[in-house]
Formats: sequence, C-alpha cells, structure tokens
Amino acid sequence: MKHPYIFGIRHLSPAGAWHLKHFLTEKNPKLVLVEGPCDFDDQLANFVLPAVKPPIAVLAYTQESPIKTILYPFSEYSPEYQAILWCHKNKRECRFMDLPSEVFLALPSSTPSDQDGEEQRMNVYALLDKQAGEDGHETFWERTMEHAGDTEGYYKGASTFGTELRELGQGEEHDWPEILVREAFMRRKIQEAIKQGFAPEEIVVVTGAYHTAGLLDESAQPMSDAEFKSLPRLGADHTLMPYSNYRLSTRSGYGAGNKAPAYYALLWEGMINDDLSLTARSYLSRIAGYQRKNGNPVSSAQVIEAVQLAGALAKLRGGKRPALRDLRDAAVTCLGEGRFSEINLAVADTEIGTAIGMLPDGVSRTSIQEDFYRKLKELKLDKYRSITQQDLALDLRENRKVSSQKSAFLDLNRSFFLHRLRVLSISFAQQQGVSQDNATYKEVWSVRWTPEAEIELVEAALKGDTVAQAASFCMKERVEQSSNMTGVAKVIEDAFDCGMPEVAVYATAALQAMAVEAASLVELSNVAHSLSVVIQYGSIRQLDPKPLIPILQQIFYRSCLILPTECSCDDEASKAIAPAIDRLNSIALAHDFLDSNPWIDALTQTSDRDDLNTKLSGYAMAILLERGFATGESLQLEVQRRLSRGTPAELGAGWFEGLAMKNRYSLIARLSLWESLDDYLDALDDEEFKRALIFLRRAFADFTSMEKDSIAENLGEIWGLNGQEISETLNADLGGEEKELVESLDNFDFDF
Amino acid sequence: MKQEILRLPAEQLFQKEIDALIAAEKDPIPTGWKMSPRSVRTYICGGKVGRTVITPKYIGHERLVEIAIATLVTDRALLLIGEPGTAKSWLSEHLCAAINGDSTKVIQGTAGTTEEQLRYSWNYAMLLAQGPSEEAMLKSPVFHAMETGTIARMEEISRCASEVQDALISILSEKRISVPELNTEIAAKKGFSVIATANTRDKGVNEMSAALKRRFNIVVLPAPADLESEMEIVRTRVAQLSAGLDLNSSLPVDETVEKVCTIFRELRSGETLDRRQKVKGTSGVLSTAEAISLLCNSMALAGSFGNGEISEEDLAAGLQGAIIKDEEKDIVAWKEYLENVMKKRGSKWSGLYKACKDML
Repeated sequence: MKHPYIFGIRHLSPAGAWHLKHFLTEKNPKLVLVEGPCDFDDQLANFVLPAVKPPIAVLAYTQESPIKTILYPFSEYSPEYQAILWCHKNKRECRFMDLPSEVFLALPSSTPSDQDGEEQRMNVYALLDKQAGEDGHETFWERTMEHAGDTEGYYKGASTFGTELRELGQGEEHDWPEILVREAFMRRKIQEAIKQGFAPEEIVVVTGAYHTAGLLDESAQPMSDAEFKSLPRLGADHTLMPYSNYRLSTRSGYGAGNKAPAYYALLWEGMINDDLSLTARSYLSRIAGYQRKNGNPVSSAQVIEAVQLAGALAKLRGGKRPALRDLRDAAVTCLGEGRFSEINLAVADTEIGTAIGMLPDGVSRTSIQEDFYRKLKELKLDKYRSITQQDLALDLRENRKVSSQKSAFLDLNRSFFLHRLRVLSISFAQQQGVSQDNATYKEVWSVRWTPEAEIELVEAALKGDTVAQAASFCMKERVEQSSNMTGVAKVIEDAFDCGMPEVAVYATAALQAMAVEAASLVELSNVAHSLSVVIQYGSIRQLDPKPLIPILQQIFYRSCLILPTECSCDDEASKAIAPAIDRLNSIALAHDFLDSNPWIDALTQTSDRDDLNTKLSGYAMAILLERGFATGESLQLEVQRRLSRGTPAELGAGWFEGLAMKNRYSLIARLSLWESLDDYLDALDDEEFKRALIFLRRAFADFTSMEKDSIAENLGEIWGLNGQEISETLNADLGGEEKELVESLDNFDFDF
Repeated sequence: MKQEILRLPAEQLFQKEIDALIAAEKDPIPTGWKMSPRSVRTYICGGKVGRTVITPKYIGHERLVEIAIATLVTDRALLLIGEPGTAKSWLSEHLCAAINGDSTKVIQGTAGTTEEQLRYSWNYAMLLAQGPSEEAMLKSPVFHAMETGTIARMEEISRCASEVQDALISILSEKRISVPELNTEIAAKKGFSVIATANTRDKGVNEMSAALKRRFNIVVLPAPADLESEMEIVRTRVAQLSAGLDLNSSLPVDETVEKVCTIFRELRSGETLDRRQKVKGTSGVLSTAEAISLLCNSMALAGSFGNGEISEEDLAAGLQGAIIKDEEKDIVAWKEYLENVMKKRGSKWSGLYKACKDML
C-alpha cells in the first residue's frame, strides 16, 4: 500500500508549525489529517473564525460522575492549529483522526489527573534525558529540532527522533496497548480517506513524531469495524474553550503543555518574521525591560553582553543559536549579577507571560455558560461583564418600594448567585470586607470579568449544567471529603450564603453523623458557632433555619457533657479551651431553644472540682458570677478554699488568673475578694510567697493602670492606707534592687 | 625527584594534561588562547583525551564552568563570587592555566593594594637618574596581560579600597592604560581579560560598586550541591594535596570523608541531612576547603604521632580546631551537636563521638 505523507511533529513546537506550513504549501494535499479526537471535527469551523485568539483548548469530559477529562490545548504555534488554518485558507479538507473522545475517556490509563495519555511516557523521556546529556530532552529537542534550518531536515529528523524514541521504550511503556489501539484507529481513518477517493499522495497526516513509525509499519493492520465497535465507551461532551499561557505552563507534561509558552511564541515570531536571531534579542530585552520597570537599572550594554554570552554558550554546545537554557543562564550572569533570584520574576514574565486566549461569543457554550449568561441578564448584572473592576454594593433586605417579588429581592438573589460563583472558585466577583455595623444585610463585591474567569467557568461545567447545580455538587463533594466537623460546618454556612437550603440539610445530616463520634470541645464550639450565626442571621437571607436547630441542640448538649473532662488539661491546651467556653456561653445566651441548665451545671462542676485545670475552673467561676449563678458569698468561700495555705501556690494563683480573665470590674468592686487575697498572702511563708508572686504577677500583667488604681484603692482600704500612695507604688517601674529580686525568680526551680 | 616548591602553579602541576589537550585539539581556538573553549571545559570538568585521563578540577556545577568559559570567549571580564572555600581562586587559576598556560599574572587584593599596583609604578632610582622611560617602568600583571593579550587574575577584589576598584572600571571599559609620563598609551591585545574573585561572607570587605559589577559577568559559585559531590571533591583534593606533602599517612577511608562532610554540611545548613532536626550553626563558614585542610591536618597528625592511619582522635582534634572558632558560642553549638545528633547515630559514629567528647 502506498502511504500518505506522514509529518511527525511535537505538539506546541514552533519549528514544527513553520515547517509543516511549508511542507503543506509544497505538497499541496487535498486532505489533511490531524492528530486529535475525530469527534472534534465539528469544532474545526470555529477554529478558523477571525476573532479566535489562541491559546485555546478543546476539553472533552464524561457526562457522568466520576468526571474524567482530556484536554487538547492549541497555541498560535501549534502545528495542528497551523495545519487547520492552512486548510481553511487553501480550501482543503481537514479532519481529526484520533480515537473519538468517548473512547479515549474510557481507556484505562486516562484518569482525571492524566490529561493526555502521552504524559505517561515520561519514563522514556527520562531515558532520553540521560542520553541527551546537558539538562535533558527539552534542550536537546530545542537544539536539534526547533533550530532545524530546513523543512526536509525537520521532516526526516522528527521521524528519526520518533523511531528512536520507540526503540528506547521497546514497547514497555505501560500505555503501549493504548498506543497500538490509537495507531490502528489512525490507520483506519487513513484507509477510509483513501477509499473515499483521496490518493495517498494527496493526503498529509500530522501526528506526533512518536507515531510516524507506527503509521508507516507495513505489518500493522487498520482497525476493523468489529474491533472499533468493541472498544469501551463513556458518554462524553466536548467544548472549545479559551486557554491561557499560564495554564499551558502548569501542565508541563508532553503534549499537554509547555514550560515556556511565551518564549516559544518568541521563537515563532522569529520564524514568521524571517529573523531567527530576533528570539534571543527579544527574550533578553524583555527581561531587561521588566527589570527596569521594577526599579532595577539594566543598561543596554548589559543586554548586548548577554546576547553575546548566550551565543558563546550555544557554540560551546555546538548549537547554532542559543537555546532557552543558554538565554536564561546569560540573563542570570549579565543581568542578574549571577543570581537567579534577582531576575526570577522577569524570567517568569518573559517565559510564561500573561497571554490569554479569546473566542468569539457563542463559540464556547457549555450549558453552564449559557446558564451563567442567562443569570447575568436576569439579575441585571450585564454591565459588570467588563474587564475593568467595579464595586457592587448589595442590600439584602426586601425592597418595599417595588411591585414584584422578584425585584424586591433582586440584591439578595444577586448575593446568592455571587456566593455560588465564589464556592466554585470562579474569579468573577470577590467579596469585600464590610464594616461591622451593617455586616448582616450589606455586602460589597468587587466584580471583574476576565477570560480567566471564563476558563474557570468552562471547567465548572464538569460539575453541573447550571451554576446552582455545580455549586451544589461542589459543596456536597466537600462534605464527603471533610474529615472533621469544622469543614462540614463551613459548608453549611456557604449553603446559606448561596441560598441553597437543600445542601444545608444534606450537610446537616453529615454533621449529625459526625457529632456522634468523638470531637474536641474546641471543634464543637467552632461548629456550634457557625450554626449559631446561620440561625441568627438566616432570616436576612429569607431562609428557614429550623432544620439546623436540632443539630445545634445536640452539639451544644454534647459540649456541656464533655466540658468538665475537657478541662482536665495542661496550661497550653487551656489557651484554646477558654475561648471555646466563652463562645459556647454566648451561644447559650443567644438562643432560647437551648436549655441552659446543663450548661450551668457543667460550669458549676468545672468551677467546683479541684482536679481540673485551675485556670479553667477560675474562668468557669467568672462566667457563673457574670451570669448571676454564683453569689458573693460563694465566691468568698471559693476564694478562701482555693487560696488556702497548703494549696500549691501555682494552682491558687492560676485559679485567680482564670477568674480575672472576665468581668474584671465586678471583681475589683468586691472588697471581700481582695481581703481574702490579702489574708492568703499573709499566711504564706517566704518560699511559698515567692512562688505565688510569680503566678500573681502573670495574672495581673494585663490589667490596665486604671484597673490597678482601683485595686490599690481596695488594698488601701483594707490596710488603712492612702490609696493614692499605694497606686503610685504599684504603677511605678521596679527599682534596681526589686528588679534583681524579681529577676532572681526567673530561675526559680519548680521541681520540688 | 622531590620537588622543593611548596605549591606549583596549576599549569606545571597538570602540564601533561594541558599538552595532551593541545595535541588533540580539533576545534577552532580563539585568538590568544592555547586551546578551544571545549578543551578548556574538558580540562576543568574532567574527561579523556586519547589515552590521557583528564582529572576533574572542579566538580559539581559543570554549567557554571561553561558560563565562565563562554564569558571569557566574549572578551568580558569574569567575576567569581561565593562564600569562602567554594573554589573561586581554584577555578580562576585553572581557567588561566588552560587558556593561557600561565596562571601567574595575579594581583592579591588587600586593603593596602594601590592603584599603581593595578596599572604601573616606577623604579624610582632609575626614574630619578634618567627621567621617565619605558625601562624605568614597573608594569603590573594587568599591564603585562594587556600587552600579551592574556588573562590577569585579581584575587579578593572586594578587599581593595574603592578607589582601586574604580581604577579597574576604566581599564575594563576602555581596555587601555594611558601613561601620561611617556605621552603614550597601551591598548590591550585581543585575548586580554580579567578574572576577579570576591567573597560574600567575610567581614571587613568593601562593597563593590554597581558600576564595577556591570563591567563583569558574574558567576556565583555555590557550596557543593549534595553530600556525594562534596565527598568527591574532598577525596580528590586530599589525594592531590597530600601527594606533595610527604605526610607519611594513608589517605582517609571513605567512611572518614563521609563523616567529616556530613558534620560540615549539617552545621553549615543548620539542619541534619535527613532534614528532621534543626542544628545550631557555628560562627565559621565550614567550607569544603576547610574540610580538605582538616583531613590533611589529621593525616599529618596520624603520620607524625600515630600509626599512619587516621584515628578517631586525630579526626576529633581536627574537627574541634575547625569548628570552634569563636570560643563561647561555637563550643555550645558543637556540644549540642555532639549530644543531640552524633550520639544518637549509633555504633558507626560512637568512636568519633567519644573522641570528640574527651577532647572538650
């Protein structure tokens, strides 16, 4: 059988694109077959629309969960893209020729993380890296292929490269069966074209260099109808989407991306302008330009030196022109004072760049995009679809001046919509912090439409057909993946923000299941706080918080039960528990439906028991005092008990520290308390006093001088002295001798 | 034949290798050079020419060597920057040895270096007797290098006062030195360049001006990237050094080299090699060069007072001398390292641990 021309390329290779264009012009084929799922043929017409600006990508995805995807990015300098453009310009037929995406997605090796089956062949490249020397196959490829001077050389070189690569892999790549299936299918497509009346020499096949040997193999057969039918399939959709250089650079695997898209664009520019040295000049000048813009003076002389150095480095390696590696090293040496860190931002800007692709309206329309634009219109947000950033203030309350229900809650619905986008990480709108006094019914968003957001939107298409569905899917997924209650509680908050009570109910059920299992007091208090906020402010969002009440009750009750035992902890842990107790207390006060008896019981128990962390016992006492469940007398008794002789001084002082953490004024006002404290200190012997002093100093450390004044007055009264004088003594800085005494306490040995 | 010179210049030490490279030369040779840039790379990074094995002189960062050579090809001056002991002078000497076959045109930068030492000065007796003449001139190494189209070396450039550094600026940008006394000027021949070295860490150095830095292509030499390459460097250099020193001791075994490099790397980076534990650093730099001299030192101890094999005690003495530079602080750091890291390393390290402990 006669073979058509098989032009081996590397995806995203400027030289490949350039030589392919020449090759096509020279051979003038009637049909061009391009590697890429054959069901993408319906997108070919869109590729060539005048308003299309690469990078763009075709995304294929399964219709049902678990979602699998494959992505085919195209850059200006993608050989495939140039081939499609050439066909359009010369009115030739163009077709994709790889397995349909529904088969691709069902192949065992296509997992969500593996965007392109070819990425799997990296181990072959690791082998190649070793043989290529230098820093691996990237530079090797650039020196040998990207700098190839003539089309014939590239054509033959790529084919040899692919053949060698196959031999290196020796059919041991784990996706080898997949490669064979794909090549059989490609042969089938070629055969099909020939049957349709295209002569082999009228066909040019554009495929990865790796496949050239496979397609030319005489012994291999095209895939038969029966074989094609027996292939596994998954229901799949696909869409054209805008893409960005940044995304190209993050998917660094073979074929799926490239590490320096903007640099490769410079190579392409050099080729189409017929000035190959342009790449080096422009690369280095751009780095210099970036440095200058950011306040680092770089002279033109330095750029000239860098161009020369890059040339010398390339020569040392036998290259004709500097490769990326030479250019970067030259930039570091001449523009960065030998340090990469000096120019790393400039390098990122020059090599990756910020280019973002564009598609004309209506080309990329997944159902979620349609839903999105419909919603924008519905919510009168159309005018925010602009590249300049605008602020949008929302008042969530009902607008009583308007007639229809719909416009009365326009802002609320906008808020729901924007929150859903936030949950989906679509960067269309960012919520701004608002001042506290109107936080509950006011929201401020800064809205800006970027192509990045469009890309994120298309990616969200994998999660659902509408924004609401996708948000719901996303939150449910978060619930499933949450290992702790805090994560689930956050979902409940989000669900209320998004106006999606059904998700909140779903998350609540999950929360209920988790609450049965052991959770710490701190975690419970956080979750209870989230729930409490939603219940308190849910009505602003016109949502019924009732389904949340039982779970809050359950969590609250559980907190009461574990409070005393949780308080048996060291001082380090108590730092987190004290705020948790405070949170729970405010929650108890905020909601009538919570039974406060168990809470008071738990606090009383915590306050009374001697075997718990004394600071927390003191703190519990303070709360009881504040809420009026402990009287002056019981305080008096407790002080005497806690501060009696024989109790280790640090425990007594710790308890006092806890007590003083809350409502200090009422403490200060109780004269009896200070009398007890005075008695206690009097009763201590020297050694004990020293110990107590350390802890009491700590307890009083964050009292303000006003507070200290008041304490001084109390003490003055007890001792019958002038309060003013005592206050002065107390607030004065320590004298030299006193300082020494106190400092000597720092080395106090507690281990006896 | 026993050599009497303590340290021969590189081009004499490695004469055979240089000759072999020149004999086998195939690539074009830049004006003023003795061999092609590729051969220079082979000379420095090691390889084989015909049957002659070229020993690697600089191990680890081949790309930096390439950048340095490419810089000199483009007539630019080269500045090697790095912490103490990262083989700056070593590399500069070997570059000159390979390119010119002469590494001796060198100015040692100090705080006392004057502008005259950089340009030219006079034989004053002759100057007074005959007036200014070419014979009465004392030419600096830089002057000589310009005349012959070769490379001059400037060591420790950051130790020189700033006016001396400034003098270099005009030489590097104009590539000529004027001699007003003789109403003439000398222009550099093709092949002239300067390799300067500068230290980033030492105290008492002068900041280099931006203008001076712009005249140079700067290559920063890092500490060896990993334990293996550092061990390789230490092993080769100790073998080379001790060969010329009659130490009467056998070379350190791999285990000893590994221990020294491990300790140095850990104290240098402030964490253990497995990155599990933080370690307090010391005031000294603990460079690879110090590890090399430490081992030679231990060999001397073993050869002169021991049985010719490095014992744990010899090593401990060397370690303590190298690590404890600032009495108080370093002793604390070293003690902590011994107790927290070395003691827990098991039997392989217990001998060294005990020896170090006894020494304190």
